[in-house]
Amino acid sequence: MRVVVDSGVCTGHGRCYALVPELFEDDEWGHSSVRGDGEITEAQRPQAGRAVAACPERAITILD
Amino acid sequence: MSTETVEQPTGFFEAAPLTFDRAEGWRYFRAPGEVYQRDGIWFLTSHAAVRFAHQHPEIFSSAKAFDNLGSPVTLIPLAVDPPDHVRYRRLLDPLFAPRVIGAIEPELRRQVREIIGAFADRGSCDVMEDLANLFPTQVFLTLFGLPLEDRDTFIDWVRTIVEAPGSTASDGATPEAAAAGAALFGYLQDFIVAKRAHPGDDVLSTILAMSGDDAFSDDEVLGLCFLFTLAGLDTVTAVIGFVLARLAGDGELRQRVVDDPDLTGPVIEEILRLELPAPFTPRVVLSDVEVCGVTIPAGSFVFLVLASANREDRDNADDIDLAQADRGHLSFGGGIHRCLGSHLARRELRIVVEELHRMIPAYSVAEGYVPRIHWPSGTLHLTSLPITFPVRSPASGGA
Repeated sequence: MRVVVDSGVCTGHGRCYALVPELFEDDEWGHSSVRGDGEITEAQRPQAGRAVAACPERAITILD
Repeated sequence: MSTETVEQPTGFFEAAPLTFDRAEGWRYFRAPGEVYQRDGIWFLTSHAAVRFAHQHPEIFSSAKAFDNLGSPVTLIPLAVDPPDHVRYRRLLDPLFAPRVIGAIEPELRRQVREIIGAFADRGSCDVMEDLANLFPTQVFLTLFGLPLEDRDTFIDWVRTIVEAPGSTASDGATPEAAAAGAALFGYLQDFIVAKRAHPGDDVLSTILAMSGDDAFSDDEVLGLCFLFTLAGLDTVTAVIGFVLARLAGDGELRQRVVDDPDLTGPVIEEILRLELPAPFTPRVVLSDVEVCGVTIPAGSFVFLVLASANREDRDNADDIDLAQADRGHLSFGGGIHRCLGSHLARRELRIVVEELHRMIPAYSVAEGYVPRIHWPSGTLHLTSLPITFPVRSPASGGA
């Protein structure tokens, strides 16, 4: 299972890395990227879901 | 409220019942539909309609919407459309990224404590005059390397410009606003010259130092500074007022946040969702476009009503719900024009609440006072927020 940020859609609201810093990090522009390769465990799914719901641009997707 | 003298409203916009109760006011704007026209202005009021506009900046022009504000320079990057817009944001976003703001946080906390310290032993204050009006301007001056002693002059200019009638509609500027605008311009112009000659360790100097293809002209820097003062001061002032009004008016909520500072972020997000300082985003439609089944003709002036879009994704959407505070809102806009200062604004708000609660953990709205906003206006803010609080005597100790 993976979580991905669509960099073409992210405009840098920064909610995901503020709320779920263990899965997302900010870059130089304040835009978001996933930490590492984005692989998440079942246990991390709720946290990833929290970021999906928080994104005003709907830029985050969980891929099963 | 029946004793208030109210001027006869002149149109649909002006007649909105927002003064005392935003929940009622935003229902008024949402009631006619998702997309509709009144008095020559189109209103996009649903989440779907607002998001459609955010996702189509090539149709919903920001540049055209700010054309007739009487500004002698382009308000960068707000009044710029694609494709030029991306260049400015590529250069400017790093200057307002969270990591940059983190670096000045200790200094900003020191300044807030100083501002609060000036009234902490009085037992009462007006949040708007004594705190909310002062801090955001100090932050701007600090960030841009301008003298803090110019604060009060700066506040007067910005207030005159922002509060001028028609500052968001299309009727141009008043003579007072034009004079204040000219004074602010002259002031900024002098500093651009001075900073080009003697750069400092600040955002303005960093922008002026950009070279080659990235270089900003003096007019571009002026437009940028002008936008920051118009968009970044009054708005944060307003939200400080809204946040503290809610906390001062609800002792139980305030106590929860004092007892558990981790709730500071969520409570700020919820109040941002409900009480927007800039609830109407102006745009001009460049070509005929269908939004939620309604065709808006080319050339139309449009307001994206962010405030009503924020109140439709949950039950009891008019109430603060800390459990749902993560769920996002559009108060900083969206799409390519997402508020450049959003990270700074959020940090300022958290700093104010945290430092206030350390120094004055218990406070309430002055007895008998009913908070109200200045309306009609382009940006919404409380006219005043008198609060009272117990004065902690030095003998009683405390941390």
